[in-house]
Amino acid sequence: MSKFAEPMARLIDELKKLPGIGAKNAQRLAFHILRSSDDDAEALATAVRDIKAQLRLCSVCNNITDVDPCSYCSSATRNLRLVCVVEEPTNIAAIEKTRQYNGVYHVLHGSISPLHGIGPEHLRISNLLRRIDAGEVDEVILATNPTVEGEATAVYLSQQIKRPGVRVTRIATGIPAGSDIEYADEVTMLKSLEGRREI
Amino acid sequence: MPLKDSEAVVLRSYPLREADLLVTFFTRAEGKVRGVARSAKKSKRRFGGALEPLTCVKLYYEDRERQELARIDSCEILDSPLTTAVDYARAVALGHVAELLDELLPEREANDALFRLTVAVLRSLRAGAIWMPLTYFELWLTRLVGFLPELGECVVCGQTLNGSRAFYHALADGLMCAGDKRLASSEMTPESRALAAQMFRTPVETMAQQVWPKSKAADLRKFLIQILERHLEKKLVTASMLDKLQ
Ligand SMILES: [Zn+2]
Ligand SMILES: [Zn+2]
Repeated sequence: MSKFAEPMARLIDELKKLPGIGAKNAQRLAFHILRSSDDDAEALATAVRDIKAQLRLCSVCNNITDVDPCSYCSSATRNLRLVCVVEEPTNIAAIEKTRQYNGVYHVLHGSISPLHGIGPEHLRISNLLRRIDAGEVDEVILATNPTVEGEATAVYLSQQIKRPGVRVTRIATGIPAGSDIEYADEVTMLKSLEGRREI
Repeated sequence: MPLKDSEAVVLRSYPLREADLLVTFFTRAEGKVRGVARSAKKSKRRFGGALEPLTCVKLYYEDRERQELARIDSCEILDSPLTTAVDYARAVALGHVAELLDELLPEREANDALFRLTVAVLRSLRAGAIWMPLTYFELWLTRLVGFLPELGECVVCGQTLNGSRAFYHALADGLMCAGDKRLASSEMTPESRALAAQMFRTPVETMAQQVWPKSKAADLRKFLIQILERHLEKKLVTASMLDKLQ
């Protein structure tokens, strides 16, 4: 028999499924929720329900959104002809942090991953190709991760996207800003030499 | 416990908790070792690209009392798959090497010959030229883990197959003569058997200039994968992905 009342045990089991939450943490969170006000507990339950009910993928770019098209794709001030391709929706925030990028996005929701049986046919790219074929795109920036899988994904996409009049670029990889080249590993150093530019 | 060090090949890494990575290595000193790289997911500074699968590294690690997983202290890159071009086919080929080693290696059992084979094959596995090194790897791997039957004689009657036709089947333990072949067997061409013999005599570096089409020695690779999958009692994810490559 469980040492907790059934509703408590059930909440703990559900919380344990969250990333980074072990049994101890799940218990602590569950007791916190039990002790919190009815309003707070209700707000949490509603937020959890709404995220599934109200969020979906943008039909244009696959970003997670509550309105379709998403706020980037429907923006009046963004350059809709410049598309940055990323692996995950969370990558968008990293690019937005620069406050320099004014284009839109395309989210793949993953990358080619042979060890997980994920090949190019599993990438969500049909709506990207449709946008390109409709002549709506001048440049595609491939911003997948600089890993074997991200690199293979970028190379595959570049082959699929190639059309006259569409520029395909890959983000640069190299020495992190503010660091010391003395501590750069050989791959990073090599990539930054390859990606050098005239000043 | 004392810090150990070894040359190693990174096989796989999985996220563990919020910021850590669980990494499987093929070390030269101790064979397959699994360990935890603390904060490797968050702070790339400490490990950089060194934990990328199929990177050859100098690994520093420490065993912890009564714990199965080692603590990964640091990694220096010796050779990275990212230094040469990566395309989809090469990514699948690299994944295949990782999957085979991860599935076949027992924990903490050194295999120096297999380690040297792996490092040499990874060096010759280039974009646009994957089939020779892959065939070489599968052949030698099957032999070094002890699953390769004698290719010169029929597994049923023992008759020599030199100069005569040879057949293989998913459920047979070796090659068969025309008289003993099972229903729905496939033939292994004399050319592929000659290539196997050549690969047993020749270092992979010597053959590295050869660019094979996918069709070359495809029967030999199929035969080897059937043997390995039968021993593993499971299908290899990357084998079917290699099949689908153009
Ligand atoms: Zn959108
Ligand atoms: Zn026979």
